Amino acid sequence: MAWKRVCSTSEVARGRLAPFVVDGITVIVANFDDDGFSVFPPACPHMEEPLDQSGMCAGTVLTCSKHLYQWDMRTGEAAGPAENDRVLLRYESKVEGGEVLAHIESELVYEYEDDEDDDFEW
Amino acid sequence: MPARNHERWNEVPGRLRDGEYIDSRIYSDREIFEEELTKIWKRSWMAVCHESEIPEPYDFRTTTVAREPIIVARGPDGQVRAFLNVCPHRGNTIENRPAGSFRDGSASGAPRHMTCMFHGWQFDMKGNCAHISREKEGYQNRLSRKDVGLRRLRCEVHFGGFVWVTLDDAIGKSVEEWGGGCFDCLKEHVDAEPLEVFHYHKAIIPCNYKLWHDTNSEFYHDYLHYHNRITGFNEAYFARQNTGFENGHVTVGSFEVQYDKYEGFESRETLSFPGLPPNHWYMIDMFPGVNFNLRGSALRCDIMTPLAPDRVLIEFRGLGLKSDTPEERISRIRHHNSIWGPFGRNLHEDLLAVTTQQAAMNEHAEPRRILHGRHENNTIHDEIGMRHFYDEWGRWMNRRPSDPEKPYAVAA
Repeated sequence: MAWKRVCSTSEVARGRLAPFVVDGITVIVANFDDDGFSVFPPACPHMEEPLDQSGMCAGTVLTCSKHLYQWDMRTGEAAGPAENDRVLLRYESKVEGGEVLAHIESELVYEYEDDEDDDFEW
Repeated sequence: MPARNHERWNEVPGRLRDGEYIDSRIYSDREIFEEELTKIWKRSWMAVCHESEIPEPYDFRTTTVAREPIIVARGPDGQVRAFLNVCPHRGNTIENRPAGSFRDGSASGAPRHMTCMFHGWQFDMKGNCAHISREKEGYQNRLSRKDVGLRRLRCEVHFGGFVWVTLDDAIGKSVEEWGGGCFDCLKEHVDAEPLEVFHYHKAIIPCNYKLWHDTNSEFYHDYLHYHNRITGFNEAYFARQNTGFENGHVTVGSFEVQYDKYEGFESRETLSFPGLPPNHWYMIDMFPGVNFNLRGSALRCDIMTPLAPDRVLIEFRGLGLKSDTPEERISRIRHHNSIWGPFGRNLHEDLLAVTTQQAAMNEHAEPRRILHGRHENNTIHDEIGMRHFYDEWGRWMNRRPSDPEKPYAVAA
């Protein structure tokens, strides 16, 4: 098991999220409850928006402010009224001795749609 | 010659013939101006920028052609494409910055996409719609992303790396064909290796766009330029040939400029463009409003955007070779500015002339004749360049330049 220290619980205030780099891998840590932390990749599953800038926490819901897509940070499932068929990938995490630990073996990445083929015709 | 009363003033002077003079209303009439946008500017190939201004994938530049907002963007595949800069949803301008990159996203948009800030619709670099906010909730199955791609425009990178755009899908000719051979004199020199823009400025000049084109395409106004008069005239200069090409374009043939004879100047021999005989000077005036001017080591390009009968936006670019060393680049910029900079020999004098020209032919002024009647075997002070332009203008407008209320086809 590759449990790694990400940050101290005091580094992310309740209702906030912040980016950290662990062994060269950037992750976002969200503090959605007094003892509820979630650790996930830094890009929005939808269109790769940088969640350290566009992400907002409200209760257990993560909202990307670019297109108002939402996820439940406890499960990674879509949670909002904007259509959304993508789950939020998460690193397994736990809190021990005032530190947030995450199980990071390799970087979790989304596959985004490439620009569609250029089959444009005049 | 005596001064003339009103009647004599309105007669054709001397024995000039139709085609050797034009009616000043074509520079000031609002209706004619609007018609020019529709009949000429929306149907021509226009240079809008240089590819070195958008070197990286996701770089973009915005501009207008005939008042239509245009965006030019380089895709992840390196290809430059042009679109109407208009959101298919509510018609908003999509991108408001003059230039930038979509790589990192914007305040309201995701990375690598153009985003309309109004409702967050997003488009990729090929013009596909990539996101409609709450698409299914609002449109169910009645409209989807596939239905609302951007309006793509024909676009080519051609003639020394300039980006050309046309609003006319049915233009039926490539940029090469549009040039009609006028670029042959410069092609090998500007296409030998990549060019790079080192100077850009734009100015709104209180004159009709054609007055600026005129002043670029006639050299009889050497008398305007103090420095030309004291340094520029010799037999080789006077032998320079004006040549008319298909589609209204004109070139001014070259000769060797003795830059080292100008006070404070140096020879441009070592920095002359690839394959160009040292210190040579070519000009290409392309219909309806693009001008290329290669003076040995520096290429200037003027791109005109008509704003009103008496207003033209001119974008001035100076270009050198992308491979320039820093020292070479500094010399090239000095050469460029010595002629065309704010303290240069020529540009401000040209701008002064067209400004005072327009001031005398305002919208409400009585029509007058503007003379284009010099014939000197097509050499440098022959006004064939303007005559060639206005013949083309007449065809496109179906108006006679000498009397714009008459159709082009009717003989005088």
